[in-house]
Amino acid sequence: MSALDVFSLSGQVAIVTGGGAGIGRAISELFAAAGAALVVSDLKKETADEVANAIIAAGGRAIGVACDVTNGDARKALVDAAIGQFGKVSILVNNAGGGGPKPFDMAMDTFVWAYELNVFSVFNLSQLCAPHIEQAGGGAILNISSMAGENKNVRMASYASSKAAENHLTRNIAFDLGPKGIRVNAIAPGAIKTAALATVLTPEIEKAMLKHTPLQRLGEGRDIALAALFLCSPASSWVSGQVLTVSGGGVQELD
Amino acid sequence: MSHDPYKILARPFDLEGYAVIITGAGGAIGGATAHVLAQAGANVVVSDLNLDNAEKVAAEVQQATGRETLAIRTDVTNEAEQHALVEATLKKFGKITALINNVGWGEYTPLWDVTMDYMMKSYLLNTVSAYNLSKLCMPHLKKQDNASITISGSAVGTTPSPEFISYSNAKAALLHMSKSIAMMSGPEVRCNAIVIGSVDNGEATLKAGYDPAMLKRLADSMVLKRRGAPLDIAYAFNYLLSPAAAWVSGIHLHVDGGGSYKSKMPSAD
Repeated sequence: MSALDVFSLSGQVAIVTGGGAGIGRAISELFAAAGAALVVSDLKKETADEVANAIIAAGGRAIGVACDVTNGDARKALVDAAIGQFGKVSILVNNAGGGGPKPFDMAMDTFVWAYELNVFSVFNLSQLCAPHIEQAGGGAILNISSMAGENKNVRMASYASSKAAENHLTRNIAFDLGPKGIRVNAIAPGAIKTAALATVLTPEIEKAMLKHTPLQRLGEGRDIALAALFLCSPASSWVSGQVLTVSGGGVQELD
Repeated sequence: MSHDPYKILARPFDLEGYAVIITGAGGAIGGATAHVLAQAGANVVVSDLNLDNAEKVAAEVQQATGRETLAIRTDVTNEAEQHALVEATLKKFGKITALINNVGWGEYTPLWDVTMDYMMKSYLLNTVSAYNLSKLCMPHLKKQDNASITISGSAVGTTPSPEFISYSNAKAALLHMSKSIAMMSGPEVRCNAIVIGSVDNGEATLKAGYDPAMLKRLADSMVLKRRGAPLDIAYAFNYLLSPAAAWVSGIHLHVDGGGSYKSKMPSAD
């Protein structure tokens, strides 16, 4: 295997949740370019299809699947769709996630929702995919977490603690699945210029973020996708249980 | 580099045009790294205390990859030899794109048997040399795109390791330093570390005081149930040096087979 071949995903089948936009789209398109067949999952069917069609137009293999990852039936249907279309699953990227600052007196349902979205869905999709990944001869699970899992700030109790849980879930599942040939890692992205961030980013906030960012720019989807490719490719075959920070060397916070 | 988020680089892990200094490159991990980086397109300076080993690796890499290499003997604890390494690199390749502070050494020493002189020598080799070589390379690195310093850390630098007290302390200091360098050197130069677990580097491991039974226990305790191969580390260096990691700085990437875990609870099995 040549040095560059070890970054290839040729012959792999990857599920990417939240693959319709932002970081998930960048991961889907890069993984397809690296040779994987893609199951692009998104809350909206047309968004998932748009990315799948872009991959197909570029010469790759992909299907779009609508999936609300907080719904157990939808999670099962997603994995079934992947098996139905491509006959196997060897990579799962739990990218779908979200939430933001919430007041301390938020409703309990709001707090639980953060865990439904960022933790429970990740755990259950890992459960559903693990037997298939094992059957495929091993592979990788990658969780797109957040630096919020380490940072401390006001109004972040639900989102940040759910991301911390996702990080520790990653470290622990690595032990359950390592002997089955499944590596489990996470990426903690800093502030990435996506449509989601654009809704809250002002020039002042960006300037303040860059004060604490040695590499002097906010991230792009591609920065995360390339780290994801490393962590899902044979190049990292001795890496598991890790949370890789990709943040321009610094810390970016909204306030 | 363009910042179009959907523009995918044709060869994101390519190191074409890079001039990379690797210290301790006559050894297993450094040698494998020289091979992999050259295969990815880099020209490589193979620096080692042992000139024979450096020349052997440099010749093998050049033959296998067709890339230019330079073998040089460097005692990294000697400042004049550090200067000579930098000068020789500039003379041969005209630039320095990346520095890999890979050299390091430690061995089993009972906790209270370490003399002050021995402890200081360990810091000089494992920590201070990396500081000074980084300092000497910094002005040259700053002139190159996607320049970086990457450090070979060790898992013993992240967890109490009384059996390797002189080595583990020095490695912990080295890891801490890498974050400080990252903080002050962006945006021109990235700095990261690989926290390396137990790698099968042949006789060097046995020389450090391990025996085969210890190594078997170590492998069995790991998530991925095997000790590392030098190539496992080399590929991680390839990623961290490449354009794919252009927004990655200040990290400690653990390449350690998932690490090991000893439960205090009775096994469920």
